[in-house]
Amino acid sequence: MTGQTVAAPADAEQSHPDAIRLAPRVARNGEGETAASSFAPAAATARAARWSFSLPFTVSNRRGGIAIALLLVLGGVLTVWQSSLLDVGNVALPGPGFFPLALGALLAVLAAGVAVDCWRAPEGERIALGHRDVLIVIAALFAVPLAFEPLGALPTLGLFGAALLALVARVRIALAVIAAGLGMAVCWYFFQVLLGLQLPAGPLL
Amino acid sequence: MTGFDQLLNGFAVALSWKGLLYCFIGCLWGTVVGVLPGLGPLAGMTLLLPLTFGLDPTIGIIMLTGIFYGAMYGGSTTSILVRIPGEAASVVTCIDGYEMARKGRAGPALMIAAFGSFVGGTVSILGLMFIAPPLAKVMIAIGPSVEVVLILLALSVIAAISAGSRLKTAIMILLGLIVGTVGLDKLTAVPRFTFGNPDLSGGISFAALAIGLFGLSEILLNLEKTEAIKAIQPKLRDLIPRWNDVKDAAPAVGRASVIGFIFGIIPGVSHIVSTFVSYAVEKRFSKHPEEFGKGAIAGVAGPETANNAVTGTAMIPLLALGIPSIPATAVLLSALTIHGVQPGPLLLKDHPEVFWGLVASMYIGNAILLILNLPLVGLFVNLLRIPYAWLVPIILIISIIGVYSVNFSIIDIWIMAISGAIGYMLRKFNYEMAPLLLALVLGDRLEENFRLALTMSGGNYATFADSASIIMLTSVLGLLVMVQALAWAFGYRKSFADTAERV
Repeated sequence: MTGQTVAAPADAEQSHPDAIRLAPRVARNGEGETAASSFAPAAATARAARWSFSLPFTVSNRRGGIAIALLLVLGGVLTVWQSSLLDVGNVALPGPGFFPLALGALLAVLAAGVAVDCWRAPEGERIALGHRDVLIVIAALFAVPLAFEPLGALPTLGLFGAALLALVARVRIALAVIAAGLGMAVCWYFFQVLLGLQLPAGPLL
Repeated sequence: MTGFDQLLNGFAVALSWKGLLYCFIGCLWGTVVGVLPGLGPLAGMTLLLPLTFGLDPTIGIIMLTGIFYGAMYGGSTTSILVRIPGEAASVVTCIDGYEMARKGRAGPALMIAAFGSFVGGTVSILGLMFIAPPLAKVMIAIGPSVEVVLILLALSVIAAISAGSRLKTAIMILLGLIVGTVGLDKLTAVPRFTFGNPDLSGGISFAALAIGLFGLSEILLNLEKTEAIKAIQPKLRDLIPRWNDVKDAAPAVGRASVIGFIFGIIPGVSHIVSTFVSYAVEKRFSKHPEEFGKGAIAGVAGPETANNAVTGTAMIPLLALGIPSIPATAVLLSALTIHGVQPGPLLLKDHPEVFWGLVASMYIGNAILLILNLPLVGLFVNLLRIPYAWLVPIILIISIIGVYSVNFSIIDIWIMAISGAIGYMLRKFNYEMAPLLLALVLGDRLEENFRLALTMSGGNYATFADSASIIMLTSVLGLLVMVQALAWAFGYRKSFADTAERV
């Protein structure tokens, strides 16, 4: 599946039900304008526009493509650097560093080629990034390994499930907690009792 | 023991209660992931991969393979009833399948798709049965230099036939090869890119990376969609096709079986490419090409037969050479390796029960799917009514437990989360994940054999081009590349463009 695109950034911002606004209210909400804005409306609007940032935001295929390609170039350069610290050997008898060094160099060159291609291309379609539900799922996923062992696998996954049900599936919190609890009971029976899987118990169990 | 005796032994394994149960579970789960948009065979297989660790290798592989071809069956259901391809190989089916459903002919479309899938699947199993054993015998004597050529050619073909930018595909292959170097060097045991973390000594977990790059990134992309799914509900009594439907579909099924069979051996996205080629061929052979796009039954029968005909032949390079040709077989390779079974020329000699058990289970699985899919189509369609956001926590919790249970390491959950986020970003900018995964699986063997071949030849690079077997291999694979390139140029590209406009 390819990237999700939107026709126009402004449309996407206005129509999307999950748009998160990080900009000061004054920038967009006429009714809620502050005293400061009434003193100098033009200056405040300009200042607010500079700070304006809402989610999901859009980026052109060209600019996003360049950014991704440059990150890949960086990845290639880092691979070359780390490989050069290993025994590279020589062309006839390569050492452990030879293969990754060659691959890293090739990656950097090809990614630079993609960056140049993107640089020459027109701005193209706009790609939406930072969707609310996507950010919540990524944040929740990154929290799981932090709590998995200290808190225990089932309590962590229960909280994870309840959070996603409440925030992404938009289920009432009480129902989300009950569903997550039942889900964890099923997980405990299936994975730990039936399959004999040893998951971190944590201090609660 | 003759091949027939071994096949009988295979049936004994596949028909045991465990074999039947896990084959059924695989087929059912495969159909479910095939039906649900955003969950393809790869995500389905990687999600259940950890559950096979406690099983006998043959039973585990039977279940995973069941998911693979079950997803091909299930993918057609959503294509026909919702016009959303359940998985990539069912994209073409949307065109005529949905048009048939709109005209109240969803039943015959589903019936023909299921029947074509059954025929295609069966033909490909015959191919697997007859081609893999002699090929394995030939390949048993190959040295490291031949293996290097084979792997390089496989990777070149993947890059050459990519649907997207070739440069981006090449970058993904390089990334996969680089990620594959993490861990202890196979020849010198020197740690590479482990940064002192012992959990990384064994390399990056394939399951964590595959679930992250494919499963998780797919879920994140699907969360962005807000449109509700409306499915056409077929009636069971309307399933029987008319005589004219059978007459139109039968030749298409025959041709697509051959197309899928040939494309299955070619590395890359052959299961997807074969459907486009089959559609283009059917349109060309049809007496009424103007009906294509308006509900031609051959436009459903061809692609659906072709994508299932790939499933058996895609196993040939995996089981006979140890080289996965599509991402789904890379998951099977990983599963076999975890179980201590090395796919390749020695598989038939050392573990004949795995090979023949798998072949027998594929016959049984195809029959199970034919029986399962038609009467239960209403039930599967109802799955589409479950809001996607409700399924997300369930899928993610199973994934996290599954990934953790491979090595009982927290770092694998980190790898899954990070690779999911990276995969999501890369896919937004049209980088394909399949080449990365295939390169990851093949990377350490490529490096190991490359260095071994050079050591054995005293650093002489001519070793990669001097033996008769290499010349033969290069020629055969060169021919396959040419066939693929021609197919892509004349059929695939055109039908891809057509489909892109319609779907």
